[in-house]
Amino acid sequence: MLMAARTVCQMLQRRLASSAAAACLSSAELCSHRSALFSKEQVRQRSLYPRTEKIEVTLQGPGLQGTLLVMNRGLSTPYSCTRHLTEWHVKSSALALVDGQPWHMHRPLTHSCDLTLLTFKDDDPQIANQAYWRSCAALLGHVLDRAFKDEFSVELLKLPEVPVTAGAFCCDLVLDSRLDSWTPTEENVRSLTRDALQLIHKDLPWEPLEVSATVALEIFSHSRCKQEEVEERAAQSQNGTVSLYRCGDHVTVSGGPLVARTGLCSQYEVTSVHKVGECEWGVLRRAQGLSLPLNLTVRTSDICTDCERKLIFTMGYSAI
Amino acid sequence: MTALTCRFIKLADGLLRGAQVTVCRVGAALQRAPVIQCIRTHRTNTWWDEHLTEDNASFLKKVVTEEYKQQTTDKLNPLKDEPWPRHEWAEGSRRVGLVAVKLGMMPVWTKSGERHVVTMLQVQDCHVVKHLSKEEYNGRTAALIVGGKNISPFHRPEGYLEVFRNAGVPPKQKLTTFCVSDNAIIKPGTPLYAAHFCPGQYVDVTAKTIGKGFQGVMKRWGFKGQPASHGQTKTHRRPGSLGPGGDPAKVFKGKKMPGRMGNIYDTNHGLKVWRVNTKYNILYINGSVPGHRNCLVKVRDSILPTRLENNKNPPFPTFFADGDKELPEDLFDEDMFQFGQPMPE
Repeated sequence: MLMAARTVCQMLQRRLASSAAAACLSSAELCSHRSALFSKEQVRQRSLYPRTEKIEVTLQGPGLQGTLLVMNRGLSTPYSCTRHLTEWHVKSSALALVDGQPWHMHRPLTHSCDLTLLTFKDDDPQIANQAYWRSCAALLGHVLDRAFKDEFSVELLKLPEVPVTAGAFCCDLVLDSRLDSWTPTEENVRSLTRDALQLIHKDLPWEPLEVSATVALEIFSHSRCKQEEVEERAAQSQNGTVSLYRCGDHVTVSGGPLVARTGLCSQYEVTSVHKVGECEWGVLRRAQGLSLPLNLTVRTSDICTDCERKLIFTMGYSAI
Repeated sequence: MTALTCRFIKLADGLLRGAQVTVCRVGAALQRAPVIQCIRTHRTNTWWDEHLTEDNASFLKKVVTEEYKQQTTDKLNPLKDEPWPRHEWAEGSRRVGLVAVKLGMMPVWTKSGERHVVTMLQVQDCHVVKHLSKEEYNGRTAALIVGGKNISPFHRPEGYLEVFRNAGVPPKQKLTTFCVSDNAIIKPGTPLYAAHFCPGQYVDVTAKTIGKGFQGVMKRWGFKGQPASHGQTKTHRRPGSLGPGGDPAKVFKGKKMPGRMGNIYDTNHGLKVWRVNTKYNILYINGSVPGHRNCLVKVRDSILPTRLENNKNPPFPTFFADGDKELPEDLFDEDMFQFGQPMPE
């Protein structure tokens, strides 16, 4: 009898706590809070270089061999290097390779290095394609975060690393427990696609930031599963830092570099949202989508819709 | 015997599991959230399954939970942009039409052996693109702008593409406006299919006629002309007289004369739909339709007063593909003869 009463009290407390916490911040306020912390950290990192020091950047690549650019340390990005070249370089560069390592276009350069600009039409576009797939998944996460009404909580889980050959990119999420029996209709999926296309049209850049685990934990202080993801990534990385990317208002964690801006995606479609199973946070759902970059377009009727609607099982799923 | 009791109402949020959202002190929460309320109820001493067998009781329990679950999911619209309400067909309501591509013509036979010709119109990528309310449109009826047949966005101006971007559809080749009644409005972005029309109903088809160029009065207006022989000097296909003589002493405005013929919008009214193919979205429509092959036509329910009887109870406001019922691949009119069926006597 006493035990029963105690469990009832505990359940009541937990329900009150969660309801009150959920009522704390709406999703818009949460986004602006995270964005504000992100900007603060960005300003702090930029202030680490008070004096302008020069670095020499050597450009590699077809037609650009050995071109030397003198740029500013901690301020210039590969994007600013392209602005010294031609407009075509600015528009078509998706990713950069700094000393052979993939480097985001808007990430400041910190030392003299060799820079290679990657586009989608290179001979070996593997790295650019993988980064593009990751960015599409991040965009899908952004859209899903905004799409639901404020009274329903949305938790985005770690973005699974799907190879481009799998046929679609995906984003895992856990919705409010009231939506356990809800399946999205065609119309809901279409409205998600519409939101994504509007984001793409705004052509927002992805701003990268390498932060220590503590700062990242503070930014995601309202979301327990995001904090766990941050701890996991910090444990896996070499120097305990986590890479965050901000697009507009939405801050996300990513395992690898993303492409420069949302405008590089041209045909974007959210194909389906499946229920995958149960996880510790609730019913796990996977949203899938298909997209093509700006320079490589296909007539929409050529994209096979049946196979992309099938659920994609990835190697990384078991790690969630 | 009833007794007055007190019942505790559960909190309105209905969270079944304590979602681990985060750290918030319970004390603070208790002060803010409303706690527990009491209401008075009557309690009877008979419980609901007292007179039921065990099987019936368990069946009822199962059925009721399923029904409630279904009701909650139906009402749930968790996304910020909710689907628009769907109303039932009523007398006098006008629904939207389609944009289709004219493919060609072929013969059909009725069960009594008569041969008719039908035009095949394929509905390719038809979407509702915009909704204009009564005030925006003409002050009397609401309007829906529908587009058909996708085209590439690269050779169109930015202003043209903006409408499609707001609706979330690819840019279309043809845009038409349909006047609809207020209970038939559809959310922009909804696709429209050929199953919107049923076999046996009558439609009006509007399209741009084939341009014939500058044509004489015989082809353009159907004048009889003059005889080929018996002394006619240089007058075989001319209009002849232009009107009465000295009293008006003028040619009236609108006199039928040679000029540019065709390439204008024309409507054929009261065409019967013989067959609808749902797999390829093709409508088989009686008779001929203005326009050349592969031109885009506007199809809507007929407004002829004698054909309103046949257009009762259509899929309203349109045929939605997300419903549970699966349509067969081909829908035939009852009078139409289908090959492979036994010959009617």
